[in-house]
Amino acid sequence: MAKTQTKSGTIVHPHYGCTVGAAYSVAAIKNAVPIANCGPGCMYKQFFLLSFDNGFQGSAGAGGGNVPSANVGENDIVFGGEKKLDDLIKSSLAVLKGDLFVVLTGCSGELIGDNVESVVRKYQEQGFPVIAAQTGGFKGTNLTGHEIVIEAIINQFVGDYDGEKEQGLVNLWFDVPYFHQNWRGDYLEIVRILRASGLKVNVLFGAQSGGVEEWKQIPKAQFNLVISPWVGVKTAKLLERKYHQPFLHIPEIPIGEEATTAFIRKVVEFAGIDKAKSEAFIKEESDLYYYFLEHFAEFFSEYWFGLPSQFAVVGDSAYTLAYTKYLASQIGMIPVAQIITDNPPERYRESIREHFHNLAEGVSVEPEFIEDGYQVEQKLKETDFGSGIPLILGTTWESDVVAEKGGLLIEVGPPTTEEVTINKTYIGYRGAFTLLERIYSAAVGGK
Amino acid sequence: MAKEIRQIAIYGKGGIGKSTTTQNLTAGLVERGSKVMVVGCDPKADSTRLLLGGLAQKTVLDTLRDAGEDIELEDILKEGFQGTRCVESGGPEPGVGCAGRGIITSIGLLERLGAYTDDLDYVFYDVLGDVVCGGFAMPIREGKAKEIYIVASGEMMALYAANNISKGIARYARQGGVRLGGIICNSRNVDRERELVAAFAKELGTQLIHFVPRDNEVQRAEIRKKTVIEHNSKAKQADEYRELARKIEENTSFVIPKPLTQERLEEILVEYGLLDGLEDQYSI
Repeated sequence: MAKTQTKSGTIVHPHYGCTVGAAYSVAAIKNAVPIANCGPGCMYKQFFLLSFDNGFQGSAGAGGGNVPSANVGENDIVFGGEKKLDDLIKSSLAVLKGDLFVVLTGCSGELIGDNVESVVRKYQEQGFPVIAAQTGGFKGTNLTGHEIVIEAIINQFVGDYDGEKEQGLVNLWFDVPYFHQNWRGDYLEIVRILRASGLKVNVLFGAQSGGVEEWKQIPKAQFNLVISPWVGVKTAKLLERKYHQPFLHIPEIPIGEEATTAFIRKVVEFAGIDKAKSEAFIKEESDLYYYFLEHFAEFFSEYWFGLPSQFAVVGDSAYTLAYTKYLASQIGMIPVAQIITDNPPERYRESIREHFHNLAEGVSVEPEFIEDGYQVEQKLKETDFGSGIPLILGTTWESDVVAEKGGLLIEVGPPTTEEVTINKTYIGYRGAFTLLERIYSAAVGGK
Repeated sequence: MAKEIRQIAIYGKGGIGKSTTTQNLTAGLVERGSKVMVVGCDPKADSTRLLLGGLAQKTVLDTLRDAGEDIELEDILKEGFQGTRCVESGGPEPGVGCAGRGIITSIGLLERLGAYTDDLDYVFYDVLGDVVCGGFAMPIREGKAKEIYIVASGEMMALYAANNISKGIARYARQGGVRLGGIICNSRNVDRERELVAAFAKELGTQLIHFVPRDNEVQRAEIRKKTVIEHNSKAKQADEYRELARKIEENTSFVIPKPLTQERLEEILVEYGLLDGLEDQYSI
């Protein structure tokens, strides 16, 4: 029976930001500007957990540590913060270039019921692209916030659409920017795969996206593609209602040849496009993949000085599943502790468990849902990694317990203070080897 | 050792007469030689009008908004009837901001500015309506008012509200020292009102500390922006408030209330005939 430990009295060392952390989802849209309507310190906390101390991801333009904030104080709480927000929007419009401004209201404004919509409407009526998202921190994690922000943009900015759909055009709902520290590289790899398979992609976030204009194209897409166990499903359902777009939900982010090939075939089948292009691509990528794997195999079988064989993952639903699946089913490592820290909604948990129960033929593991960093540490302490070196894919929060166990820590989630991320990915055909390089460099280097 | 200031919070349904009762009671206590401070905790800021002879007071929150943190005690504290100290917490405009937080802010400010001096015998907090949120419970949290009186009448909604307020008191009583001192009945001339409110008080585990009859003298004094004692010292109603003041001064019954269930509350209402009128008219 799976254990669920989400209701401990306190949570130390959280592995996520709060709802208003979705400011960084906005920052990931080209030419979009987040405006934080919350207390001083809120954005600072979100910036450090999601961006700086998460692979030092960096930013350009309004994002990173430069998010304009209302710094709501006691007077704004007692008398209402609308005037201050109004001033902030006015100033932001004057000094920042942007095609879309998203006001994210945090706990204080949400609790006292500031009428942010009416402040924003004034600007909308004058033709400024300003919208409001209700992201009180108490509503949940930055993952909750991510979907709230997307919904706000769709409802208030993209708007209604009743026209033609474009066959072969897909909206991509995938990594949560910044939260998933490799998101920039991950998007590159997934978009490369989808395009090479014959699809056109509304990328929406990051380097290859068409920015705000591309968001306007969302209603024209043939379908929505959600790649995550749960984040994005709500968005897809909204779009299904609003624009009558069907969606394809693929809970497992593909890593390695087998998973990526299966992923492509599923998407192409759903899209109903010609398979010749995708099959040629699969052939080409598979040949390359096994060329490299074959050469890696020599090291893998001949290295006599101890490689990790049992591993744990501490991460969100999406990547705990993706890494576990790849390492267990393709590399033959033994999963011993799979700890999911992002508090997925109850209704998705059973299906998440199912995926862990069926990693490969005869390979099954029971995941645990634990939000509290202390309990995560306790769980890792108790875990028996056998006689080999324990391998833990986790975060900086786990560094003490990993050191205690003499294990190898590969930081893959927030916070990550020992990796610098520019354009890295561990997924798809190409990223799989970067993951193996990272793990086995650490193993042979002893760190 | 300095004597302890009796800090008292007055709660009750909106419009029941909390401010009127508090100010007339204050006048009664002042006559008995007590030094009293009244802190209005209602955004309408009308808790000290009768003591000050009009709405002469700039509220704590208005002062804060205009002058910022640089405030002196004399900016927010005015002397009224025979040296009574009057403070109005005030609040935001209706429909914006957070009035509850406003009360927390202004009581905090009063403490920092040293408004609670040793020469005070009583501090009254006149709190709006129900204990709707943490802010409106501020006066009964630890270190503030230890005594509470609920103003009620024989009307059904007034008793509902009083019962609800008792739930708030019971909650804070478990954490701190706050106790219910009694129910003050501000009569609305409802049938068998005294018996009903007394029975209700008994059921709560407390007392009907005083029954203030309905008297137009109160309205006449209010129009002149005065308490009854100041306006017409010889009036019978002035004696009623003197009696209330005496009873409160001598009160030794402080309890943790036992709020009634909805069913029990309605039973009492039926028992004391609120519904009699209906039955009388029932004819086929």
